[in-house]
Amino acid sequence: MLFDIGLTFTTKYANPVSVARHLLRLVPADLPGAQTLHSARLDVTPMPAERSVFTDFFGNSATEIVLRAPHKKIEVHMEARVDRYADPGLDLSPDLPGLRREIAAFRGLGPDAPHHFLGASPRIAPAPEMTAYAREVSDGGLTAFGTVCALGMALHRDMKFDPEATTVETPPSEAFARRHGVCQDFAQVMIAALRGIGVPAGYVSGFLRTNPPPGKPRLEGADAMHAWVRAWCGFETGWIEFDPTNAAVCATDHIVVAYGRDYGDVSPMRGVLRISGGQKIDQKVDVVPVGGR
Amino acid sequence: MATPAPTPGDQVATILSEYAATPGVSDELLGPDGAIRPVWRQFIDHLAALAPSDLAERFGRGDQYLRDAGVFFREYDGTASTERPWPLSHIPVLIEETDWTEISRGLVQRADLLEALCADLYGENRLVADGHLPASLISASPEWLRPVVGTKPASGHFLHFLAFEIGRGPDGTWWVLGDRTQAPSGAGFALENRVATARVFSDLFAEARVHRLAGFFRTFRDALQGLRTDRDSRIGILTPGMMNDTYYEHAWIARYLGFMLLESEDLTVEDGRVMVRTVAGLTPVDVLWRRLDANFADPLELDATSRLGTPGMVGAVRRGNVTLVNALGSGVLETRALLAFMPKIARALRDEKLLLPNIATWWCGQPAERDHVRAHTASMMIGPALSTRLPFEIDESTVLGGEFRGIARASVDAFLESDGANLVGQEAVTLSTTPAWEDGRLVPRPMSLRVFLARTPDGWSVMPGGFARIGSTSDPTAIAMQRGGAVADVWIVSRGPVAPDTMMPPAADAFTRAGPGILPSRAADNLFWLGRYVERAEGALRLLRAHHSRLAETADPETPLLLHLDAHLETLGIDPAETVPEGLLSTLDAAMTSAGRVRDRFSTDGWMALKDLAKTANRMSESAEIGDDAARAMGILLRKITGFSGLVHENMYRFSGWRFLSIGRSLERAQGMCATLAVLADPDAPDGALDLAVEAGDSVMTHRRRYAVSTSRETVVDLLALDAMNPRAVLYQLGEIRSHVGYLPRASIHGQMSPLSRAVLRTHTDLAVQTPETLDTAALRTIRREIGSLSGLLSTAYLV
Repeated sequence: MLFDIGLTFTTKYANPVSVARHLLRLVPADLPGAQTLHSARLDVTPMPAERSVFTDFFGNSATEIVLRAPHKKIEVHMEARVDRYADPGLDLSPDLPGLRREIAAFRGLGPDAPHHFLGASPRIAPAPEMTAYAREVSDGGLTAFGTVCALGMALHRDMKFDPEATTVETPPSEAFARRHGVCQDFAQVMIAALRGIGVPAGYVSGFLRTNPPPGKPRLEGADAMHAWVRAWCGFETGWIEFDPTNAAVCATDHIVVAYGRDYGDVSPMRGVLRISGGQKIDQKVDVVPVGGR
Repeated sequence: MATPAPTPGDQVATILSEYAATPGVSDELLGPDGAIRPVWRQFIDHLAALAPSDLAERFGRGDQYLRDAGVFFREYDGTASTERPWPLSHIPVLIEETDWTEISRGLVQRADLLEALCADLYGENRLVADGHLPASLISASPEWLRPVVGTKPASGHFLHFLAFEIGRGPDGTWWVLGDRTQAPSGAGFALENRVATARVFSDLFAEARVHRLAGFFRTFRDALQGLRTDRDSRIGILTPGMMNDTYYEHAWIARYLGFMLLESEDLTVEDGRVMVRTVAGLTPVDVLWRRLDANFADPLELDATSRLGTPGMVGAVRRGNVTLVNALGSGVLETRALLAFMPKIARALRDEKLLLPNIATWWCGQPAERDHVRAHTASMMIGPALSTRLPFEIDESTVLGGEFRGIARASVDAFLESDGANLVGQEAVTLSTTPAWEDGRLVPRPMSLRVFLARTPDGWSVMPGGFARIGSTSDPTAIAMQRGGAVADVWIVSRGPVAPDTMMPPAADAFTRAGPGILPSRAADNLFWLGRYVERAEGALRLLRAHHSRLAETADPETPLLLHLDAHLETLGIDPAETVPEGLLSTLDAAMTSAGRVRDRFSTDGWMALKDLAKTANRMSESAEIGDDAARAMGILLRKITGFSGLVHENMYRFSGWRFLSIGRSLERAQGMCATLAVLADPDAPDGALDLAVEAGDSVMTHRRRYAVSTSRETVVDLLALDAMNPRAVLYQLGEIRSHVGYLPRASIHGQMSPLSRAVLRTHTDLAVQTPETLDTAALRTIRREIGSLSGLLSTAYLV
């Protein structure tokens, strides 16, 4: 399905910032076989003194900008046209002991190698409570794919969506203990739980279509950038994506921006700057199918 | 009848009376047959012939050198760190040149292998693809830095400076205990150990055919110079800062090799190039000797919480604009578990067999290896696989000889089963013993060596010597300095004569005068504040001395004069009721902190003088009594502080750094004098205040000579404010500031005066046109404010 995506990211500072350097990961990915990026533009106001683009370890496109003039506000605007045609395909995945053998047989450290996504990463560490929970809901010799879906459905059932409850820094163990949070918390808890039972799991940032097709409910998280989970289910099935906030295997409604081990690898705007006083961030997202509805 | 003089044989027997090799452990001094190894013979004879008093005096000489040179190390007790005296074991470790040649060959091979391994881990990953190395081991390492994967180092090499920790096993062969590839420390300390030990055994050292160390440093300095792409740029040493446990060494190497000592605050990245913020603007730097752990190097792409990094550094590396020595990410080679794979890696990458084995290691992530470790727990040390610590740096999570050191767990078996991938088993270390001096005898103590290798255009150069760690007891885990161990010099003894060597270039080179170098803004800032704090302390000392001598005369703290003076002291943050006031001590502390940040910029003597001053002040604060005793104490401190100022001003090169220090001093003195005069030369001040002002201005003699008649407000204000010849006068100091500012970079911009130059000229003129009559208390306060604002202008122009 073809989408036009618009994103405006505005940060306002209480006091002027003299120098700032940011890494932006906002442009949708181009993923052979799953997603085609037809066009994209990224505008930054005020105009940065320096701007460059590179591809990071996980294959994401990152834009580095430097601002050297004092500013109280920075506005990033992104527009893109993307075709998303992901197909989850058949479940040909092994059970968990089988998955463990396949991981051990995977010789490689490329961006998609499962090894990066197994142990603790800076922001997501497996913990006994979440591992025990994952064991419980996936018990019964399910396939790896089946396990991912069962866990995602269970979390969607047991955790409450609550935009006020957590911040971007809330660790997954805390969100899990209280069973609430936003898409980031749902994703982080699910990743921690999957890693705990030996399923390689990573973090995905991206967009959801804003208005549902007729007769379908509006998706949670469509008014901002969204986060979900990807998991490796063996050589045959490969990586699949699951959105625990909406209890769904991701298909054409989920547009991928960046992949990583956790939020730190994909954060839409990561900056180093000295600020005194607070800052306020606003984002506005529009994801509209081309040609109507 | 006299007792017959002891024969040399008896003397040797005496010092060796308690020396015996431990069974199952090899010894440096004694061969397997129990006889003294030939390389030690001359040394032992020499040592035995020294009278105990002579020896004590010699040891004292070595220790004195280290104290004078300011060598110390930082010891951590879990929460805080303290500076400790350098624990030199005075007896060097002697190694025969032929043995050393073997060790060197093995280490050079290992260095090449590590370079190839690093290139593979950050390049094509052939070792993982071919199954020689488990992918999960690398992917889990916090030192394998994804942002630099695929980046080729600008210099063509990842590794330029390495250290290896080696030890001799029970069978007499040498083993590698650990590879130091991230930011190896100790080379500077090795040279200090050498200087101190050579002083202890000065006569012997001269004839003992010991290989010299200076050539190693010279070669490496030249090699680094050769890596620059910009011939005019300077090389920097990137340090985490003064709280780091080896900061002393960073400053030392910077001074010794003439490199800039840089902290992250000094650096910024512009258009992908690393730049140094200097008082003359941004200057590019393209070679950095990195003493900062890689994860802290860039908060933008590495550890976001780092306050020690430079945003954009990784980007500069990716674009090939800066050579880091060693490359970001090289720390992954220190991973303990890699030792288990080194023999395989040597075959796979270079089709070689390791000349020097490393300590036997098994990664418990593999079933067969795990079973082996389980079956041999009694002779194993089991610890974290991804740790980069050395085998003898044992922590709470280590299992030694089947026993848990710290954390209690159910069983070793269960631990191995549940945590296998995170664990390695290593053969428990048995180190050889070497002589240490204890109570008039030699005793055998475990030791390991740290050997340094530097990359040069002609291949690896091995430092002929190194840094030996000596255990405090016979327990081999007690050789770490943090656990009470000592350090010793290492003498590589040649069979033939050795050439003396220094840092001086060979005579054949034509002499060229080097440029004066550049001054980072942070260093300028610290020098400026050092100048201010020292002068502030001096001013306070003079006022306090005047206070206490008046108090001693009258014994009445409530005289109008004392009350007037005390009120003034209190506005300066000084409580005159305290003998050595807290306010004074904290000013001295602040001076120490500023000085500590620029230790590479002034002499060791200056640093020691400042340390001594602060120490004396602290001691006196506990013992001195108010009145006469305190006045004398202030006198002592005054002499010490002027001693420091003299040392610094006499030997500092007359370049920008010295000017910032001098401006700080002049500014503080001029401001302080304005304040003093506003209070003590005020028409309403009590009797005796004018004399007090002259005394506080250290101008008693000049005043008497010039104004024999009597003391009046006019004579005092003229001498202390308006006299351009009196270095205590405000006008004189403003003249100094004006002249220094004129020499600073960018003093004029396209022929126009800079805002700072203009303000200095205005203040100087405002004061110069005054007379003692017009310069009343209000005018003094105005001038004081104007001088104060110069500090802000200077900061804006040069220091931020």
